[in-house]
Amino acid sequence: MFGYVIANFEKLTIEEKQHYQACYCGLCKALKNQCGAISRITLTYDMTFLVLFLTALYKPNTAIKSGRCLTHPFKPRQYWKNEITDYAADMNLLLAYYNLLDNWIDDRKVLSLWKAKLFQKQYQRIAVQYPKQYAVIDNCLNELSELEKSGELNPDISADCFGRLMGEIFVWQEDESAKKLRAFGKALGKFIYILDACLDLKDDIKKERYNPLVAISSANFKDILNLLMGECIEKYKLLPILQDKNLIDNILYSGIWTRYEVEKRKQTKEPLSDNQRPL
Amino acid sequence: MIISDPYKVLGLSPTASNEEITKAYRKLAKKYHPDLNHGNAEAAKKMSEINAAYDQIKSGNVYRTSSDGGYSNQDAGEEMHTPFGGFDPFGDFNSFNSQSAENPQFDPVISYLRAGYYGEALYVLSAITDRNAPWYYYSAIAHASIGNIIIALGHSKTAIQMEPHNLEYQRLYNIIQNSGRMYQQQSQSFGMPTVTLNRICLALCLTNLCCIFCGRQC
Repeated sequence: MFGYVIANFEKLTIEEKQHYQACYCGLCKALKNQCGAISRITLTYDMTFLVLFLTALYKPNTAIKSGRCLTHPFKPRQYWKNEITDYAADMNLLLAYYNLLDNWIDDRKVLSLWKAKLFQKQYQRIAVQYPKQYAVIDNCLNELSELEKSGELNPDISADCFGRLMGEIFVWQEDESAKKLRAFGKALGKFIYILDACLDLKDDIKKERYNPLVAISSANFKDILNLLMGECIEKYKLLPILQDKNLIDNILYSGIWTRYEVEKRKQTKEPLSDNQRPL
Repeated sequence: MIISDPYKVLGLSPTASNEEITKAYRKLAKKYHPDLNHGNAEAAKKMSEINAAYDQIKSGNVYRTSSDGGYSNQDAGEEMHTPFGGFDPFGDFNSFNSQSAENPQFDPVISYLRAGYYGEALYVLSAITDRNAPWYYYSAIAHASIGNIIIALGHSKTAIQMEPHNLEYQRLYNIIQNSGRMYQQQSQSFGMPTVTLNRICLALCLTNLCCIFCGRQC
């Protein structure tokens, strides 16, 4: 369910690319400092977006530092450091922990269970440090699991549940922006959930797993996704974001379709399967 | 579509547990889902029958809406989705009277919709067995008003497919679709991404590898 909220690199200027990369590296560094080096394997672009978005809104004091790391051992890279990188790192780990547990429960992936165990201590710390976010995430995921079990056919219900989870993650502080942020995060979460369901549909049907779109005609998918993003943009426009607007617009209007476009191209290239082959 | 014996369609006895029902449904979906049977009209027909049967068995209980879970009523109200943006779908409803005369079974639905009791409207709708174009039209209005925009979009489309020349249906579809259409135009002017993911992921994969090998020391 992760890695959808990403920029379209082709449409970024060199400065914007560097800026985005510094944001990404900032989250990676924060993960290492807060949750241990190994936690960096959970780094996602979605939480990079959270850093970018909340930093643009709250404009906290951001130190731009420079340093080397394992992936870039020779050329030092710029990275951000502010309160939000630390917050997003914790949220990143919290989501990753649940995702790993989910992989273990659904597919019995032993590696996932092993990784989840690695992060258990951090998970417990974060649960205490951010009780509000923890409670909502835990609640929503339990509810989602119930919906999956019951085979809910109304995709709005499951998407709404995941949306509430994402909405809560966007509420870094309870202040005058909280309500608008929650609404924006919720709309974005709904889109992510449905996009994920679109891309996994065939696989889920074959493996007899739950998919919220199983009874919806796939001819409608693009319209549904556009509608959900349209809602998300409506909420976005209510927030006073001026800093990094180009970059954020790039992600919300274009980059967010990256996985969808990749998958679409893969499917058009795919050789015909048995029941598609002409006789 | 209304199935006289939904359990039979799923190959179950009426005493089947919820778990058995879901399991049977997923097995049949694997066999008949149109996305796995391209161009097979027979499979598509069978699948919509299976969907209807499953839906019928499940909606034996009250219709659920997306604002049911978690949120208190007040919160749901504040966040309630209004696709009509203050616009009253019944405002200048010219064809309304004639339609109502032809289809008196929708009278209570219309009253509920006018009064803002969308859940009740859906409940009445779920009991109507003849699912014609007006049924899909009213269902789309109720779902849209309650925040179930995915279902609303599908049902408004179905109404048009059943009666392509009905302007009311067309208008409702346009209202529901509006923000999506605006978004799509802006999105297209940005241009869709063409890069493959491989390049983007490479850096991250390298970090993963290093971390797995050297554990916490790195």
